[in-house]
Amino acid sequence: MEVLNLSENRSLIALLAAILPLFSFVFLPASKKGGGANIALSTISLSFLLSLYLFFQIWNATPEHQQLHWFLIGNVQFYAGILLNNLTVLMMVLVSGISVLVHIYSREYMKNDPNIHRYWAYLGLFCFSMLGLVISDSLLLIYIFWELVGFSSYLLIGFWFSKHAASQAAKKAFIINRIGDLGFLSGIMIIYTQFHTLDLLEIFGEGGKISAAIIRDGLWLSGSQQMPMQWLTIAGFAFFLGAVAKSAQFPLHTWLPDAMEGPTSVSSLIHAATMVAAGVFLVARIYPVFDPLVLDVMVWIGAFTAFMAATIALTQNDIKRILAYSTISQLGFMVMALGIGAYSESIFHLTTHAFFKCLLFLAAGSVIHQLHHYSVKNSHEFDYQDIRLMGGLRKRMPFAFWGMCLASAALVGLPLTSGFLSKDSILIKAFEWAATRNGVFTILPWLMVLTSWLTAFYIFRLLFKVFFAESREIKEDKLVQINDSPIQMSYVLLILSFFCSFIVFSFNPISSEASWLWNGFKLLKIREISSYHWLLPLILNSGSFTIIFFSYRIYVQGKWTNPGERNLLYRFSKRGWYFNEIYNFLFIKSLEKLSLFTFQFDLTVIDGLVNRIATLTKRISLVIDWFDRTIIDGLVNALGLLSGYIGRFFRNFQTGRLQQYLMTMLLVMLSFFILSYLI
Amino acid sequence: MIPLSHFMLISAGLFCIGLYAVLTKRNAIQVLIGIEFMINAAVLNFVAFGRYDKISGGGQMFALFAIVLAAAGVAVALAIILNVYKYFKSIDPTKTNTLKD
Amino acid sequence: MDQEQIIFYFFAASVLISALSVVIMENLVRSIFLFFVTLFSLAALYLFALADFIALAQVVIYAGGVLVLMLFAFMLSNKELLNSLKPAASSFKFNNFAGILISLLFLLILFTVIVNTDFNQIAWMQQSVPINVADNTTHIIGIHTMTRYLLPFEILSVFLMMALIGAAHLARKGNKI
Repeated sequence: MEVLNLSENRSLIALLAAILPLFSFVFLPASKKGGGANIALSTISLSFLLSLYLFFQIWNATPEHQQLHWFLIGNVQFYAGILLNNLTVLMMVLVSGISVLVHIYSREYMKNDPNIHRYWAYLGLFCFSMLGLVISDSLLLIYIFWELVGFSSYLLIGFWFSKHAASQAAKKAFIINRIGDLGFLSGIMIIYTQFHTLDLLEIFGEGGKISAAIIRDGLWLSGSQQMPMQWLTIAGFAFFLGAVAKSAQFPLHTWLPDAMEGPTSVSSLIHAATMVAAGVFLVARIYPVFDPLVLDVMVWIGAFTAFMAATIALTQNDIKRILAYSTISQLGFMVMALGIGAYSESIFHLTTHAFFKCLLFLAAGSVIHQLHHYSVKNSHEFDYQDIRLMGGLRKRMPFAFWGMCLASAALVGLPLTSGFLSKDSILIKAFEWAATRNGVFTILPWLMVLTSWLTAFYIFRLLFKVFFAESREIKEDKLVQINDSPIQMSYVLLILSFFCSFIVFSFNPISSEASWLWNGFKLLKIREISSYHWLLPLILNSGSFTIIFFSYRIYVQGKWTNPGERNLLYRFSKRGWYFNEIYNFLFIKSLEKLSLFTFQFDLTVIDGLVNRIATLTKRISLVIDWFDRTIIDGLVNALGLLSGYIGRFFRNFQTGRLQQYLMTMLLVMLSFFILSYLI
Repeated sequence: MIPLSHFMLISAGLFCIGLYAVLTKRNAIQVLIGIEFMINAAVLNFVAFGRYDKISGGGQMFALFAIVLAAAGVAVALAIILNVYKYFKSIDPTKTNTLKD
Repeated sequence: MDQEQIIFYFFAASVLISALSVVIMENLVRSIFLFFVTLFSLAALYLFALADFIALAQVVIYAGGVLVLMLFAFMLSNKELLNSLKPAASSFKFNNFAGILISLLFLLILFTVIVNTDFNQIAWMQQSVPINVADNTTHIIGIHTMTRYLLPFEILSVFLMMALIGAAHLARKGNKI
């Protein structure tokens, strides 16, 4: 039974790690209300331990790849299998690690919710699908888990489905994800047509089919199969579309702010750390398929998204929305990094972002939880997610404050944080890349620098408004009632804060090349310009500190008058660059009109036709009825009448009159005589 | 001698007259008279043929019998006519039609 | 044409004419009286057939019995009977026409048969022994009655008795049908 020997067969370990959270999904929905926390926590912890074991086995060792026959269509055999390489095990550890922390946190956060058994179940489903996504070895399997991840995201966003906004947001997320799935599926189909296989290693591995395929005479050739060369570009765009939807890039980013209707712990897990990273993960996995045109588009979309989201985050007032736009912005950074070829920087940033974004969300959740508690206890109705109503919580909630502080520093990329390593390396690479290009591409790195400064502004605005200054809602005396969140939530924040520092990733706080993570993925194609390595961080961080100082002056010391909310730029930013309104106008309204039209069409034409046919049938039946009654019955009745007539005729012979009888007799006799005489 | 056919012709004529009377008269007694005519015609026939039969004398014998029977018949018929009148209040044969359908 | 034939034809005509008159005449009494004439003429005809006893019997029984019976019955019945005997129908109704037709046809048939028969060729006619004028028919009838036709004679007497009883019973007073 060698296949079951766990120490030998790592794929099985990976499979087990992925399947364990599924048990929560399978068993918990039917459990009693309020139960299931322990099962969920134990399964995900076990999953994390297994992932950690695999990480130490596989990191920088030979990748493992195992397959089984899955199904046969005609002559074509499809396989299902597990691929374990650096990227896989890193993602496994990341996903399961953050899931464990979120599980512990949610235990306390969602404590009094009556539907908590459903929560654990859905969370289990999500973890299973995400882990399955990262260990899959064929595009088809990735697609299946991709869909499952989208589905569990839908379930979790709409967790409090009785709230209209939540169910709408869930629907929006799912539908927009679906658009991306269309792209992904088209990409799969193109790849399959060209290479007749969906296996990742075969296509994208070392010396795989895609690197063996050549473009010659306008045709994309691979073995005996050929296609016009545009299809390679189209495939690239198709896969990128999937990533755009999943990772909330422009133009399919509108679902992520609305997804904040879900519980905060869900937002931290899914919409900050893991699921939205799935898009970036996909691009990283199938990186060889993208040709230069697609990569350039990727760069621009990533950059634009980052800039746009940062500008929108400047004016938002809901604590979670600011963080949502921040996520979109950072994802834009990652996508842009992939576009310029900074593969390892992108993955590095994905990892560090997962930790500090998760910490940001959980700290915000902590604040929300305590304010909600306060609001209920004092029957003081206010929107406890609005940062304009918060303030002065620094002294009252130290864990949340220091956690958020560290995470914000990591987000901005201040020195001695993990974010410094990842983000600045991306920017350095961006400048190096721009140096090799010309024209409009040279403004791209400066755009990213501007975005970083905007990031500093908005995140510290959040920090200052929530923790410093005075609250407009809660007066000083009542403020003392607010304490820090329960210990389970707080020590999760502590653990995550540890991961925001540079120590975890590199022993050198300044250079990212020293990072073990960065060294796991060397895919360098960009010419290094060493002067950038010290110049850029200097420029960036000095700019960031200036901005932070300014925002301190504005928000804490109140030293600047607000230009007012009627300012055009303010409104533009506040309404998210009016994307929702544009989409509503372009797509929703016309769809509604179409559906109304088809409804009317169905009602008048189709139903009308059916009704007319029914009337026609009724009329025909009337005719047939007439025919039956008049002719058929008439015939039968006529026969009856005829016999009646004949009877009545012969009846008249019986007159009862003697002389007539006699006469009749004689007539007959006479006729006999005459006839016999004649004949 | 009178040829036989003469007698027979007379008898035929008398018979038909009697037949006419039976068929068309509206009075039961006149019907009875018609019947009598018919019987008399028959008797005449008997007698005419009886002239040729000396050995057995059947003709004349049966003529006698026929006459007697006719007389009896008339008597009974008259009694019947009386009763019919009592019941139907009329001796018109066309009025006695309760046996009609 | 000798005397015999003239007288015969006279009486034959008398029979037929009176018979016709009987059926044509409307007045019942007169028709019955004409019936008388018919009967008497018939008796005369019987004589020409050399059946003198029968002629006598005819006169006695028919003219003197039946006819008188009819007259009496007719006259001694109720007034209503007499009144109802006044017929209103004319002779030219359809029934009359049909009756005439049938009678004539019958007559035609009989005439055709009689005229077309050659009586001398019939076997029994040739073998027959006709009655002579000088024969005593009464004697012959008397003997035949008691020897050859005794059974019919007896039955006839019973029959007469039956008729008598029957008629008497039918015509009794208080006869409720």
